[in-house]
Amino acid sequence: MSGDRTPGRPGRRPSLTWPPLARPLHPGAWWLWALGLAVAASRTTNPLLLAMILAVAAYVVVRRRGDAPWALSFRMYLALGAFIIVMRVAFRVVFGGGQGDTVLFTLPEIPLPEAAAGIRLFGEVAAEQLLGGFYDGLRLATMVVCVGAANSLADPKRMLKALPGALYEVGASVVVALTVAPQLVESVRRVRRARRLRGAAGKGRRALRGIIIPVLEDALNRSLALAAAMASRGYGRTAGADPRTRLITGVLVIVGLVGVCGGLYGVLDAAAPPLLGAPLLLGGGAVALAGLLVGGRRVRRTGYRPDRWQPAELLTAGAGAATAALMFLTAGVDPENLYPSLSPLSWPELSLVPVLAVLAGLLPAFLTPEPPRSAATPPAAPYTGGATGGPGAGGANRTRPRKEPVP
Amino acid sequence: MTAATPPGATPGATPPHPAPDAPARTEAPSRAGGPDDLAAAAPPAKPARPAQPAPSAPPMKRTSAARPRVTALRVGPRAAVTLLVASLLGLAMFCWPLLVPPQPQGVAHAAQAPLLFVVLLPVILAVVLAELTEGGLDPKTLALLGVLAALNAALRPLGAGTAGIETVFFLLILAGRVFGPGFGFALGATSLFASALLTAGVGPWLPFQMMAAAWVGLGAGLLPRRPTGRAEIAMLAAYGAASAYVFGFVMNLWFWPFAIGDGTQLSFDPEAGPVANLHTFFLYTLATSAFGWDTGRAITNIVAIAVLGPAVLATLRRAARRAAFDTPVSFAAAEPQGARRP
Repeated sequence: MSGDRTPGRPGRRPSLTWPPLARPLHPGAWWLWALGLAVAASRTTNPLLLAMILAVAAYVVVRRRGDAPWALSFRMYLALGAFIIVMRVAFRVVFGGGQGDTVLFTLPEIPLPEAAAGIRLFGEVAAEQLLGGFYDGLRLATMVVCVGAANSLADPKRMLKALPGALYEVGASVVVALTVAPQLVESVRRVRRARRLRGAAGKGRRALRGIIIPVLEDALNRSLALAAAMASRGYGRTAGADPRTRLITGVLVIVGLVGVCGGLYGVLDAAAPPLLGAPLLLGGGAVALAGLLVGGRRVRRTGYRPDRWQPAELLTAGAGAATAALMFLTAGVDPENLYPSLSPLSWPELSLVPVLAVLAGLLPAFLTPEPPRSAATPPAAPYTGGATGGPGAGGANRTRPRKEPVP
Repeated sequence: MTAATPPGATPGATPPHPAPDAPARTEAPSRAGGPDDLAAAAPPAKPARPAQPAPSAPPMKRTSAARPRVTALRVGPRAAVTLLVASLLGLAMFCWPLLVPPQPQGVAHAAQAPLLFVVLLPVILAVVLAELTEGGLDPKTLALLGVLAALNAALRPLGAGTAGIETVFFLLILAGRVFGPGFGFALGATSLFASALLTAGVGPWLPFQMMAAAWVGLGAGLLPRRPTGRAEIAMLAAYGAASAYVFGFVMNLWFWPFAIGDGTQLSFDPEAGPVANLHTFFLYTLATSAFGWDTGRAITNIVAIAVLGPAVLATLRRAARRAAFDTPVSFAAAEPQGARRP
């Protein structure tokens, strides 16, 4: 938004200056990048590679996250990952059942009764067990942290814009939810102040009811007022769809779901022919998705400042895809270093291709525009109303960079 | 399902509702209602009715028989079929560790199954929600859905982390009870979606949580209509406890093979049959979450429904009445203006 228009350049073109202007990236790009990293992580248990993937994800997050509330969630995901690893290792210690040769230490055994399938607790703890739990846990933790990276980089409200048109109403109500949730805090505060002014006691069951019920009543009244406001502004005008589209939608959806049913059967029954499995499953899903898209055509809406896929977005998504693809390539060429051996315990080693694969995921940290900071630009709520720009989206009339014909 | 409500019954059922308490609260509708209260704004019916319901019933029972069934979100036949098929599919996806074939050769066959499910469940959920809202959502339903989802999303972090005190479900159950199964389903899904967006909790687990919570709301809407008063609260509390355990059970079941990996005695064993795996899973869920999280969730539900239930139910019903979902809306041409212009 800075420098509306440099002479001689149409406003739509992405800026060619370097470093590029600060702007938030399309959330889809971040999700594709993170899913690429997660897929790559799922293909290996090599702790060195997994640690590299973790480092790459963390570095990109630190470089490219904004200062919105969701950007702070990355730490939570790191804690979750640590919890997963600890859980896995602890399970191996408690329920391990004494597999493995290199016994590290022996705990007193507790045999359980027959109803518990003859499980015994504790006993010998072997290094193979612990390491196996650690490797597996680290892999899952890395995948979870990759998802966390996407969560802290991608703007959830912008993501709502990408909902297909058939989910327009549900998206709109989620937008209402996201808008109302912060107001509830204020509502609670108001009710408590009113209670204090009346000299009501602040504790106990009565106080809880005395706060929750007025807040609920307030919220419900607000929702009806909002509905009246929406109706009076013509919301729901497009409710009718022509019968042919409805029929096509219905047929596509039902056929798609039945296809998914067949595919599910094929996947879960080993005797079924392979064509009945995953292909049918995905095909049914695709048909149902097509029904969703056709059904969405009844809602015609315009996008306010639509998110465009520019080179930076393509590069980010491409980096993730490259990481995943290179890792798959390695799995075909030399799979030994991807799954370090446990049965003779050996030190995990790195080979060149997977390292390059993981490093490809680092590119967005340098080649994408920086996110806007609140010091320079207004906070990250320029788009209001997410999916719709409709309900509750009053105010905040930002002017779009003007498009004027080039002289 | 609920679409089977006889549509002819609804417009007539609403106006007589305030009639039985006629003398004591004559002015109540006009005071509480105001111009926006369409349901209560039908006073002419009042004097005609007072003899009809037996006034000997205790005041608690008064609302029982005549209480109109509110369906904030009508589930049409097509949506009902979609919902049914999708629920079956979802259930199979939750229970995949038990359904995977026991032969060793089936392992490679079904290895990608959970990954496929993670991709497909969002599609299925989206299709169901789209079908539920097909034909446009009433603005009042939309706003109520949004506001209740916001309340749920705000309630969720209150208890998160403290040993299973999970506060999402009680309002979901009560709202499903009042507004019907379709609304309960949509509310369960949107609540968890909004909450995940607010707390940056989007991930592969989200569709599963949404589906399970949607079932909780759906089931609350499908409970028998008859009980009222204390019996209703008791029924809802029992449902809250049961649904808490079932929710924990299916969420555990789906994630069980990932949660502890293989190589322990409580691990998922692809070569064992479903019965053996179910046994192992019972032990796993007992060891991990049944006593802690699930019981905590059940107790939270019971206590919250028992303590706050009556008041919250009354509040929600008042809102449902004021929203007047079942009132038919019709537009008529304004004659004088049409006459003026030839």
